[in-house]
Amino acid sequence: MESAGMKIVIDDRPVEVEEGTTILQAAKQAGLHIPHLCFHPAFVPEGSCRICLVEIEGLPKLELACATAVRDGMKISTQSPRVREARRGVLEFLMADHPLDCPICDKAGECKLQDYYQEYGLFEGAFKEAKEKRDKIIKIAEKLILDRERCILCTRCVRFLSEITKTQELGVFRRGIHSEISTYEDAPVQNNYSGNLVDLCPVGAITDTEFRFKTRTWFLAQSESICPLCSRGCNIYVDYHPGFTRIPGTAKIYRIRARENLEVNGRWICDFGRYGFPSLEKDRGDKILWKKEGRDTIMSWEKILSLLAEKLRPRHRTKNTSNIAVVANTWMTNEELFLFKKIFKDDLGLKKIFFADPRPGSGDGFLLQAERTPNARAAKEMGLELNPVNLDDLSKNTDVLIIFGPFLADLHDPSSLKNDLDKIRTKVLVSSHRSGLESYVDFILPASGILEKTGSLTNRDGLVQKFSAVCPPCGDSRPEWSVLIELAKELRINAGYYSRLTQPEVILKEMGKEIAFFR
Amino acid sequence: MIAGLSSELKKKIAEVVARYPKKEAAILPVLHLIQRETGAIGADEERWVAGLLEIRPIKVREVVTFYTMYHQKPVGRFHIQVCSNLPCSLMGGEKVIDHLQRRLGIKIGETTPDQRFTLSEVECLGACEQAPCMMINFDYYGDLTPEKIDGLLKGLD
Repeated sequence: MESAGMKIVIDDRPVEVEEGTTILQAAKQAGLHIPHLCFHPAFVPEGSCRICLVEIEGLPKLELACATAVRDGMKISTQSPRVREARRGVLEFLMADHPLDCPICDKAGECKLQDYYQEYGLFEGAFKEAKEKRDKIIKIAEKLILDRERCILCTRCVRFLSEITKTQELGVFRRGIHSEISTYEDAPVQNNYSGNLVDLCPVGAITDTEFRFKTRTWFLAQSESICPLCSRGCNIYVDYHPGFTRIPGTAKIYRIRARENLEVNGRWICDFGRYGFPSLEKDRGDKILWKKEGRDTIMSWEKILSLLAEKLRPRHRTKNTSNIAVVANTWMTNEELFLFKKIFKDDLGLKKIFFADPRPGSGDGFLLQAERTPNARAAKEMGLELNPVNLDDLSKNTDVLIIFGPFLADLHDPSSLKNDLDKIRTKVLVSSHRSGLESYVDFILPASGILEKTGSLTNRDGLVQKFSAVCPPCGDSRPEWSVLIELAKELRINAGYYSRLTQPEVILKEMGKEIAFFR
Repeated sequence: MIAGLSSELKKKIAEVVARYPKKEAAILPVLHLIQRETGAIGADEERWVAGLLEIRPIKVREVVTFYTMYHQKPVGRFHIQVCSNLPCSLMGGEKVIDHLQRRLGIKIGETTPDQRFTLSEVECLGACEQAPCMMINFDYYGDLTPEKIDGLLKGLD
């Protein structure tokens, strides 16, 4: 701590903070929560909700914790009877025109107004007058609905659009009891970050059509994860409904929210990532299939892997692997790419290694990157060249082809893809999603989706971020790392080495030993 | 409407804007000058001002709707603004509003068909000592009663 440190006491707890720290921040450092609605760490304090009032020894009036900087020797109380009474009063006014429609409000369960009322309110309403009627369904963006009755005018949404996106689609019109959040004429909120307004709104005034009336927040398990939809690697929460035991098919991911990581994405995520999650759950492959003489036969992992190993083993033994080709992708985790490289490049010595990834889009100059795949950097750091698939090179003198991922289908037109793949005798597809490639191959191995696996991803800046499975694997699917290890075992190459690699954690440690970048 | 701003007004506006270190700071006087000529600040005026001061139209609308002195639609010849805040309400401000609505045959925010009267409800006029009070155009009238209002309305021309 520097000598400029300010020694203060909050609720009898001595704290030392830097000059310029606000009381609210200082309390947070001391592990105390001061209620606040309009304050948000990303914006300049607004001081409009008044609920963060605290008592400072020697000052006649209560002060705003969010907008008052500490002074050396300050003695602050956040729980004195005066403070609690003031909070109650503020709450009473905030609730005076609040519709109390919590039973149908999507924010219920994670609403700060609800939380604070539980903690500091619990009073009979003193207002005899009828509540103000306001518009409750105002479409302010493609996916956003504004409810003016629930709005407490904290202006977090206005400040986000003016300070972060600088698009200023929302403003506060009129004043006093007539104040309202509004768009200008009918110009909607239109930017790639609009979904953050839902996370930001401390009450249920801004909700999104994707989540509206779909479920209750208390059914959702929050898991930390990494957004896979571009190379930025934004930190996210995935809110997953584990399902009702007696109703099959109720397990589902309901929404994606931003998770703070100041190094990567700040406190925001883009709409492309937020609303892209349905594509992760759609068109999933869930069965292991062998198209034996044109008929789909459902297989077990053991059988299909030993069948594949039988086809690869003789070629490995005779060091004649030139007619094996593989197509990988950079949606695979660090661990999976590492195993892929170990087995196919190092052990089998393959020359025909290609990558098929989603087509690049365009970046938006803020978080969203043009590179629409989460782990290209890792492949490069491992010394894998991201050769795009050239169908001629792929099929020429190729006997066995193993394709990882569904993306090849989007990169080539179906007729030429079929034409070239038909030249190859044995074709294997390891994919999480159905893409049309299924009709060209003989073996289909369902891979777990990225939210169903554990592992790590390397973002464009080289930051390795670990993540854990959010939900159980879809159907019979398995993560590629486990498929690769089992395949290596069946191939009986380097058996001692692969049998040690039981978990992604262990694989990452092993990677660190072999590749300095992952240390 | 905005195309019709006189060159004299535009010159005056340019002078006012030049007085401030930031263009945005000139918004209040600029709006007053325009309203004096056009009678109201509509969407066209908002966009014109926004362009001039290099801000977005929504910022202009925030200002125009915050202050009751700016009108989004032209007001009648006599703009009656009645205070609806606490001291006036305690002293019968609501009765004043009721009486005016009945007398003029219009509701708050409306203008009589002959464009003579516009009735508005406003926040504190800063004349609580004469509550209930109102303004007719730029003049204050306090300690209002229905009789006093009737007399005032009669005397207007």
